[in-house]
Amino acid sequence: MSSRRSRQSGASRITDDQIIELVSKLRQLVPEIRNRRSDKVPASKVLQETCNYIRSLHREVDDLSERLSQLLATIDADSAEASIIRSLISQ
Amino acid sequence: MRSSSSLKQEFLKKWIMGLQRCTSSNKNMSILERKKAIKLSADLAMAAARNGRTSWSRAVIANAARESDKRLLAEKILQGQESEMLLKKVSNMSAVIRNRRIIRSKKILKRSRRRTTSEPQKVLASSIAKRLVQKRTHILKSLVPGGEFMDEISLIEETLDYIAYLRAQVDVMRCIATSPHLMALNSE
Repeated sequence: MSSRRSRQSGASRITDDQIIELVSKLRQLVPEIRNRRSDKVPASKVLQETCNYIRSLHREVDDLSERLSQLLATIDADSAEASIIRSLISQ
Repeated sequence: MRSSSSLKQEFLKKWIMGLQRCTSSNKNMSILERKKAIKLSADLAMAAARNGRTSWSRAVIANAARESDKRLLAEKILQGQESEMLLKKVSNMSAVIRNRRIIRSKKILKRSRRRTTSEPQKVLASSIAKRLVQKRTHILKSLVPGGEFMDEISLIEETLDYIAYLRAQVDVMRCIATSPHLMALNSE
């Protein structure tokens, strides 16, 4: 396995093979590089877009938490909010 | 990877469990406290849904377990799961991790000193690219929970898994936040 080989040789850098594999998987996940050809995307760009994407997801979680803290005044078992959420679970 | 809808359902269940625990223990929370509770419950629920099978989920649980008020919440959300044992292991591990971090940063310092003295004046394009990859790998390590302790190969795998779970978390939260029923309730 190429991954085992590089580990044994002590290489700490990410190899080209791993980048190609990463790109093909990330292309489905990360919007920014979905439309580019795999051989034209350099490793540094892939990493940059991945970091940006993770950061934007973190920000979104934060914004949504903010919004939800205003909407969910109480989540007691018998509150109306809880029953709404429960109905969403069962869908 | 399990189906995304079953994952989302499990996440939602655990998240609500965590939220109810927060509100039951603290009746009059400020909006900021509530936001933190919502976010923490969501992060822990996501890690719990992964059931401790990835490094990042274990790191999220471990980080929460280090603070006593977050620890109780984590225990509630992880009830009955294999990863509940992680909480108990963690308090012993935290001292080890702290030392590992110190040793590692000292090693990195030594390594970078060596490199600057032996490098030639001319900088080739390929070495610039290598530096960029190194720098961005380092940033990625700071973004993925527990990333700083991973080797490069695991980091890539963990990143892919982490992104998939983050997206599920965002989808669920957005679904609730934009639920028309909930908004109607609040406009009364």
